[in-house]
Amino acid sequence: MSESKKSGPDFATAIDWKAVHRRLDHAAEMLAQKMAPSVGEKKTILHERARKLAQETKPDNPGKEWLVAIEFFLAYERYALASSFVREVYALKDITPLPGTPSFVMGIINVRGQIVSVVDMRKFFDLPDRGLSELNKVIIIRDDSMEFGLLADAVIGVRRIPLEEIQPPLPTLTGIRAEYLRGVTADRLVVLDAAKLLAAPALKVSQSSDT
Amino acid sequence: MKWTIGTKIGGGFALALLALVIIGVVSYRSTTGLVDTATMVDHSHQVLENLEQLLSIMKDAETGQRGFVITGEESYLDPYNAAIAQNEQLLGKIRELVQDNADQEQRIEALTPLIASKFAELKEVIDARRNPIGGFEAARQIVATDKGKVTMDGIRKIVDDMEAEENGLLKKRSDEATLSAQQTHSTIVWGTIFAFAFLSVVGFSITRNISRPLNEISDVAEKIAAGDLSSEVVTDKRGDEVGRLTRSFFGMNGSLREMADVARRIAASDLRVQVKPQSDKDILGNAFLTMVDNLRRSTAELSEGVNVLASSASEILAATSQVASGAAETGTAIAQTTSTVEEVKQTALVSSQKAKYVSDSAQKAAQVAQTGRKSVEASIDGMKRIQTQMESIAESVVKLSEQSQAIGEIIASVNDLAEQSNLLSVNAAIEAAKAGEQGKGFAVVAQEIKNLAEQSKQATSQVRTILNDIQKATTTAVLATEQGSKAVEMGVKQSADAGESIRLLADSITEAAQAATQIAASNQQQLVGTEQVGLAMENIKQASAQNLAGTKQAEVAAHGLHELGQKLKKLIEQYKM
Repeated sequence: MSESKKSGPDFATAIDWKAVHRRLDHAAEMLAQKMAPSVGEKKTILHERARKLAQETKPDNPGKEWLVAIEFFLAYERYALASSFVREVYALKDITPLPGTPSFVMGIINVRGQIVSVVDMRKFFDLPDRGLSELNKVIIIRDDSMEFGLLADAVIGVRRIPLEEIQPPLPTLTGIRAEYLRGVTADRLVVLDAAKLLAAPALKVSQSSDT
Repeated sequence: MKWTIGTKIGGGFALALLALVIIGVVSYRSTTGLVDTATMVDHSHQVLENLEQLLSIMKDAETGQRGFVITGEESYLDPYNAAIAQNEQLLGKIRELVQDNADQEQRIEALTPLIASKFAELKEVIDARRNPIGGFEAARQIVATDKGKVTMDGIRKIVDDMEAEENGLLKKRSDEATLSAQQTHSTIVWGTIFAFAFLSVVGFSITRNISRPLNEISDVAEKIAAGDLSSEVVTDKRGDEVGRLTRSFFGMNGSLREMADVARRIAASDLRVQVKPQSDKDILGNAFLTMVDNLRRSTAELSEGVNVLASSASEILAATSQVASGAAETGTAIAQTTSTVEEVKQTALVSSQKAKYVSDSAQKAAQVAQTGRKSVEASIDGMKRIQTQMESIAESVVKLSEQSQAIGEIIASVNDLAEQSNLLSVNAAIEAAKAGEQGKGFAVVAQEIKNLAEQSKQATSQVRTILNDIQKATTTAVLATEQGSKAVEMGVKQSADAGESIRLLADSITEAAQAATQIAASNQQQLVGTEQVGLAMENIKQASAQNLAGTKQAEVAAHGLHELGQKLKKLIEQYKM
């Protein structure tokens, strides 16, 4: 009897059912408003967007030479490739592994009817398999003779890099990476040499040398 | 006088025996002579009697012959026949009797043929008479010859001679006997007188010689018997038994005196005396030695015993004093106990009332428990309803969660769209770059698309975050509901337990009510018992008072015992060891 007496007021104070109902009603109302925004709201949103778009672009310095490059993440490092060699960026799906290929060849994908091989840059560059990687994007590069896809975690976007900002790679950097590097920017962006990559003999897979 | 008493007495008796033997021998001889004489007299009488008988049968034969001759009757011959039968026998007997006398033997020899011829003559007459014709005459003639008469006269003469001879012998023997008897008489009379006189003298002297010293000794013995050991030692040089007796007697007196001296010293409590027994067979000395030893030992033991007694008496005295004080304390304790018993009685009364009250209360409590049980059952029902509600809440929350999941799927597809838009914008930018100057405007559009895609992505990310929060909230709600459900289950269980507890409580209370009733009854009995205890305490009080009095008497007695022990100790200390 004493227990019920004790717990009685607890029940009464624990839940304020009226407040709960009020809050629920408010939430429903707010949801309805968001789903059907009023004319004024729409206008403010559009104005905001227009304001953003209305930002003045910096005038190009005519004396400077620019490298238009695609910037992407790979294993938490930022890399860049000259966009002139990029055919397109494609979402990675339905990759088919190929038997009898080097380990850096992940497989092949179907890009609108065309078969493109996909290379894992980390394995090619002997980077350590450290950290989680999404690897859900494929950057397809090509020149006249070669076309293949490079795996990337995320594509950041197209960027213009002044050529003078690109510094030569560090002399300590040796091995295969050094061979395909074009340079490093001040903000630690690794610029890859797409032409060299396309011409790399190691990436050429032929039936004769495939053993 | 070196003769011993035995020699003296033996000598006296020898003299007496000698006199007796002399007298006896004389008497014996006289008596033997008398007996011989008497035998001879008897012998002579027998001879005389036989001679008379012989003569008589001869006469009978003659008489029978005469009768037969006269009458001729055969029956008159009977005496004759009897005489024929007897005469030989008689003759033999007489011959035998007179063998010791030659004269008489000669006469018998002369008599025998005469008798034979007489019988022959008689036979001749008888035979003659038997002839029937002229028999008598012939017989008369024969008789007339006087031949028979002559023979008969010869026989008579010889028989008379023999009788005269025997009568002479008889007279002679009678005289001899008379003389012998007179001698014997005088010998006995004079011998006896002489022996009496002589033995009297000898006996007197011997008796005198022995009895005097014995009298002296018996005087001393009487004194000893009367306890007087003061008799002086008489030195007697006599070597005989009496002398030895006297000496040993006075020796005995001396040793008795020594023993008496020892006894006197013992009587004077001096136990240091040394007793030397005369020999191993000295019963008195050995007994005294043993007695002194035993007395010493006993006295020592007695001393120890008395010491023990004295100390024991002291202890008893102390103990009795303690007991007395203890009895007094017991008295006060009993008084206290009595008052306590009175209090207990009051308490029992009170507890009886209380027990009754408890019984009533227990019954009320049982009713309350019944009500409580119903309440618990109602609460269990309520709990079960809450359980149902909880289940529906959980269901709703789960549905909410599933709907959140659907939203998540939508958001994923929106995100995918944003991603694709992003890619599209990148590809557009690439294409714009390839187009060079003409593509600049397109690059701006591509950039705008990219921004929109980014915003979409951010929006979806926010929505996902919110969805995650919702998911967590629903999980928390489900968990809370689950816990609530479990709490309700627990509540149901606890309510059931409470119901069971209340039921048990009700049972217990019922039992308690019964117990309280029993307690009330017991209390009544206890009250009665307590009153009895009060009575008993009164009795104990009286008994305790008596005990106290008795203990005081015992104390007095112990005091007496203590004094007795001290006295005994002093007494024992008088003994010199």
